[in-house]
Amino acid sequence: MDNKILLEVKNLETHFKTEEGLVKAVNDVSFDLYRGETIGIVGESGSGKSVTSLSIMRLIPDPPGKIVGGQLIYHGKDKAVDLVKIDEEEMRNFRGNEIAMIFQEPMTSLNPVFTCGDQVMEAITLHQKKSKEEARQLTLDLFEKVELPTPERILTAYPHQLSGGQKQRVMIAMAMSCNPDILIADEPTTALDVTVQKTILQLMEDLKKKIDASIIFITHDLGVIAEIADRVIVMYRGNIVEQGSVLEIFRNPKHPYTKGLLACRPPLGKRLSKLPTVADFMSEDDDGNMIEIDASVEEMIQKVIIKPEETKARHKKLYDQTPVLEVKNLRTWFPSKKNFFGKVTDWVKAVDDVSFDVYPGETLGLVGESGCGKTTLGRTILRLAPARDGEVLFKGRDILTLAKADMMELRKEMQIIFQDPYSSLNPRITIGNAIMEPMQVHGVLGNDNERKERVVELLETVSLHGHHFNRYPHEFSGGQRQRICIARALALNPKFIICDESVSALDVSVQAQVLNLLIDLREQFQFTYIFISHDLSVVKFMSDRMVVMKSGKIEEMGDADEIYNSPERAYTQKLISAIPKGELSDIEARAARNNAQSGS
Amino acid sequence: MIQFIVKKLVSGFAALLGVVVLVFFLFNVIPVDPARLTMGQRADVASVEAVRKDLGLDKPPVTRFLYYLNDLSPLSFYKDSPEAAEKYGYSKLFSVGSGNYLVMKTPYLGFSYQDRRKVSDILITALPKTILLGIIAITFASIVGIFLGVIAAIRQFSFLDNSILVTSILGISQPSYFSGIVLALIFGDLLADYTGLNYTGNLYELNDYGDEVLVLKNLILPAIALGIRPISIFVQLTRSSVLDVLSQDYVRTAKAKGLSYYVTLFKHVLRNALNPVITAISGWFASILAGSYFIEYIFNYKGLGYETIKALESFNFPVVMGSVLFTASLFILVNIFVDILYGLLDPRISLKA
Repeated sequence: MDNKILLEVKNLETHFKTEEGLVKAVNDVSFDLYRGETIGIVGESGSGKSVTSLSIMRLIPDPPGKIVGGQLIYHGKDKAVDLVKIDEEEMRNFRGNEIAMIFQEPMTSLNPVFTCGDQVMEAITLHQKKSKEEARQLTLDLFEKVELPTPERILTAYPHQLSGGQKQRVMIAMAMSCNPDILIADEPTTALDVTVQKTILQLMEDLKKKIDASIIFITHDLGVIAEIADRVIVMYRGNIVEQGSVLEIFRNPKHPYTKGLLACRPPLGKRLSKLPTVADFMSEDDDGNMIEIDASVEEMIQKVIIKPEETKARHKKLYDQTPVLEVKNLRTWFPSKKNFFGKVTDWVKAVDDVSFDVYPGETLGLVGESGCGKTTLGRTILRLAPARDGEVLFKGRDILTLAKADMMELRKEMQIIFQDPYSSLNPRITIGNAIMEPMQVHGVLGNDNERKERVVELLETVSLHGHHFNRYPHEFSGGQRQRICIARALALNPKFIICDESVSALDVSVQAQVLNLLIDLREQFQFTYIFISHDLSVVKFMSDRMVVMKSGKIEEMGDADEIYNSPERAYTQKLISAIPKGELSDIEARAARNNAQSGS
Repeated sequence: MIQFIVKKLVSGFAALLGVVVLVFFLFNVIPVDPARLTMGQRADVASVEAVRKDLGLDKPPVTRFLYYLNDLSPLSFYKDSPEAAEKYGYSKLFSVGSGNYLVMKTPYLGFSYQDRRKVSDILITALPKTILLGIIAITFASIVGIFLGVIAAIRQFSFLDNSILVTSILGISQPSYFSGIVLALIFGDLLADYTGLNYTGNLYELNDYGDEVLVLKNLILPAIALGIRPISIFVQLTRSSVLDVLSQDYVRTAKAKGLSYYVTLFKHVLRNALNPVITAISGWFASILAGSYFIEYIFNYKGLGYETIKALESFNFPVVMGSVLFTASLFILVNIFVDILYGLLDPRISLKA
């Protein structure tokens, strides 16, 4: 990093006109980007971090959005330009050429009807005078640089034929194709598994050095920032509330919101009774003014830490009981190939010979990369996916062979909370009715008036309000919607709940609130959970015992803390080392390494 | 892919067999005497009985159905005779004993009660006219529909968008025989002096010297009348499809590359947005082939639909049955074609059986 400024963002203001009035999505934001550095912008959804990056690209959808003020001074090779002032035609020469962008969703960010090769070559031939053959060669080189296996094959492959990580590599190759000065990465790893995330972060770090670019890295997760950024900008409600070097921010966060973000990540080394949230550090009075609660991150964590003895006592009590659920040699196979007469000739073994027990009141964590079969396992237990053979004994009865009426009875006791709170609620049904529906189906309580009262109670249990009954899902944020889904699962008074990636779609700060809610409910109603997630840190925080799955089989099973502290299998070790830990010592080590390199 | 097509053909064949059963028994419960129809009102009992025997009407329905199937099947059994050879136009494959042969032929659909022409001949003369009309109507509808749909989408909520939408709703709401009559009245009659179009007319007309000449302008009004409803549907489909694709992440990616607005629109957006429209177009083409009955009748355009309605009016069942089977086969073929097209247009859809 030298000290030449590449991009000056001065008093940037981007507003959106919505039905509810003017939204100041980016409000007086100023920062400098130096050549060769990585700036991390962190904040929760709606904080304005993505709008800031789209403003720099001038890609704000207009209407409803507009850059209404400020300057974006880009110090190019020969002269400085204000990107806000130039016309669309000129701006196109910067896009993809000097400033390139990688988006959050690799699954949907590539055009499905063109091959990956075509899409990268298109960017090359657009900005550089290259023949088709030269562009092809360049694309192959790029695919090699982003460490894609078999670049030749990927050149002619369509996006749907690649995995999420591979698609993101193609996106990176596309962004790098014209050696941009600035690379904007908007949550590039949020949709990916931790193991894939680690390799992508590593790749971006390496490439940045190779082409001497600056990176603006946007994320909601401070752990990721710690792995990659030199400086950090913390955004909250369209404003920058704090900025500084990554070491300063982690050593000595000043703003309560930054403290909240740091504290709400599930810590790996310790066991906590609940997670501190942003609300523990700041609150708002009725006029929307912030009230700061003076506490350090350390103090907050000390308050909620559980001693190992307490955990031991809890576990002794748990495991003296008889298991509530016994899964024996369960297999779920899906046909992958059929011959002409419809006879299956090959299978995808999603769940292959899996056995485990779940004890009443415990939380069993189920962790593994996407495609390992953890979701199918959860669904098979509830008979939402067909089992091939094996047994699932719930209180001694085999669920897989139950008659329809008995199964109906059983569904009251076992519920599932799905991954995506956005699509698992019907947009045309008020949330009150959505929660009431399962009660009506199962004939819980005598009439709808009683049920309504119960719904109001449930809404309050999940920290919403009774007057939300008649509102529609779109009026709620992601975290609130997940609470609604939880309330719906609770409506039948279940004893056994499967949480399938229930917090994966949420910001870290919101995730902490939902996890705390699940823990409170467990204490209050003695729930038994199977908690499924790809994120080992979340699973470890929630679970008493943990099952690590790989390719449909159980890789390792045992006490959550023990597995984390001394993983036996290489796969588990890989999962653990891939978690962005955000430990101060790691950041210091990285800073020291960087200094040593720039010094030499 | 070949396996996919074979499977589709097999299921298509099964569907066709169902149609055959339905058609045969429906037309056999109607209390009309074909023998009487063939011979006319004044024929004597003996000759009517003779025709009845000739048509096999004295046999039980199940036997008649088996004969019917045998007639339809390209591979069939017949007792060889010069008359039979003349009637069915078969070529003998090999003998199965006692003068019976396994033969290969085109499906035999019987003959018209009216003029004793072969039904297949009637259909084959009428078909090209209907196909020509269908192609012109669907091409016209596709071009206009997609063009207006794209305009409406990229100018969403503008006056132009609203006008296009309202007009298209009007277009969907009116039946084609209504617009057919209105068009014929306005452009073929009231304004005929300016447009030079005919109120009604066939593809071939006799000129003053008694020669048959091709009159292409007689295609214009029927094609427009047939195209109005599909246009309206294509407009709405294109509009919503383009709007949907415009909000996709990959369009943002295309813009972030620095592509211009029009490259983004025509390459990245349209290529995706038109997939559902193209399948709709193929489906509508099949419907137009089968559904131009009213329009052909109104305009006196002597295609498949015209012949069918004429036949219906006079209880000329072999023609009606043949036309129904014919249309059903066309429909099935077009649908198989659409399924294959799907796979070719969208690489995400695999043509595996």
